[in-house]
Amino acid sequence: MSPARTRGTVTRALASLRGTFDLLISLTASDFRTRYGHGPFLLVRWLLEPFALVGVYLVLMVVVLDRPGNAPGLSIACAIVPFQLVMNAVTNGMGSVAVRRPIIANMAFRRSLIPLSSVLTESASFVASFAIIATMMILYGVSPTPALLWLPVVVGVTLTVAAGLAYPASLFGVWFRELRPFGTSVVRILFFIGPGLVPLAEASEDARDWLRLNPLTGLFESFRDVFLYGQSPAAWQLLSPLVFAALLLVVAVPLYRREQREFAKVIT
Amino acid sequence: MIEARDAGVRFLFGRHHRVLTSGAARIRRLDAETWGLRSLDFTLSPGQGVALLGPSGSGKTTLLRLLAGIYEPDAGRIHVNGKVASLLSIDAGLLPVLTGRQNALYLGVLAGLSRSESRARLDDVKERSGLGEYFERPVSSFSQGMRARLGFAVADQVNPRILLLDEVHEAFDHEFRAILERRARRLVEAGGVVVAAGHDHPMLERLCDRALYLSHGSLRADGAFADVQRQYFEDLHAHAD
Repeated sequence: MSPARTRGTVTRALASLRGTFDLLISLTASDFRTRYGHGPFLLVRWLLEPFALVGVYLVLMVVVLDRPGNAPGLSIACAIVPFQLVMNAVTNGMGSVAVRRPIIANMAFRRSLIPLSSVLTESASFVASFAIIATMMILYGVSPTPALLWLPVVVGVTLTVAAGLAYPASLFGVWFRELRPFGTSVVRILFFIGPGLVPLAEASEDARDWLRLNPLTGLFESFRDVFLYGQSPAAWQLLSPLVFAALLLVVAVPLYRREQREFAKVIT
Repeated sequence: MIEARDAGVRFLFGRHHRVLTSGAARIRRLDAETWGLRSLDFTLSPGQGVALLGPSGSGKTTLLRLLAGIYEPDAGRIHVNGKVASLLSIDAGLLPVLTGRQNALYLGVLAGLSRSESRARLDDVKERSGLGEYFERPVSSFSQGMRARLGFAVADQVNPRILLLDEVHEAFDHEFRAILERRARRLVEAGGVVVAAGHDHPMLERLCDRALYLSHGSLRADGAFADVQRQYFEDLHAHAD
């Protein structure tokens, strides 16, 4: 290939990448505005919403049930924060096509980015929810450790799992509109059949092997390693959810790309 | 500029007459299959204004959506060469909670502009929409006419070569209809294509010298506007008798 042709190919690829990025940002920004509104209360809502969403779990487990153990509030927060992202990615993923009805019915654009933009919107509240973990660390007197350096990796894996689930969730929402509440329940079950309320170390020997099969187990334990135990996450904790997400993406994205051609027919 | 060869658009229906995607139809019970458009063959050349005539449900909106790239053909092929702007519904993709400015930025990117290009054109969109200070307010506070004005100004910002209009232009006030007509005529004179569907035949006749008459998703007539309109009316009267 001649240098001029190579340059042309690279330029086109960069332009396409930039177009994808711009589209993703625009879809996410509009979602964000739709969700949090305008004006001075935008920031307040953004910060308070995660507390409103997960605070009830914390109050129930820490105050009402008075669980013993190593900083139980922080331990639960380490599970709830990634779980909330996964849960919202699925819930909003299922409604993501219906919510964007006005643009899907009127414009041709890359609809395959819709689930990804839903995850990015949710990641905004995911970022805000770290205030809960920080609050718990202060309450229990847990100091940050160098294990925090693993946080970008752990967050990256969590976002990948959320994106992996958002694509099949979006298809499920289109195919089985009436079963969306069931989809939400399935994800909620993953929290309760994982080490969400009780850390893996406190589960029985027999249960641990089964709990490890839950792709969310690695996420919950990685957050605990980084914030609570002050140690590097074990390889399986990161690889297991990553492989799960990769499998979902490999299967769901091509299917989604094929199906999105007909979204406008379904929603109009 | 636009070429359709044996093009068709199919709708699959499940229970309760709900439209399904092909994937859903494989795992859910399929009750019926309908072709919204079938075996369409036509070519639209640069510098043509083309009206789509036909009763409700004849496939006019489906064809406009096919030309806009919103639907893809399930049979045959369609080739559209040139940037397309479409105004296919009054809300025109506008999100009610966003302001006119935010919608213009957002929809500009969806229409293919970069964020910086879309941002640079905001004042122009504001000017063209004629909304004044309302441009800075949420679209939920707009009347239908104001939404249509903004929708058109936003669609037009990409400097299209092809303009698709579906009845919604009939929601415009007289002043803006005149602006729209001028814009459409200028586009045709400059070698673009305007395809318009609607029931305001005098306006369609002013914009279009050619018409396609659709019936039950098939092309029943294609020719000079007056001839095709006559055939359409004859069929209507025959049907009424």
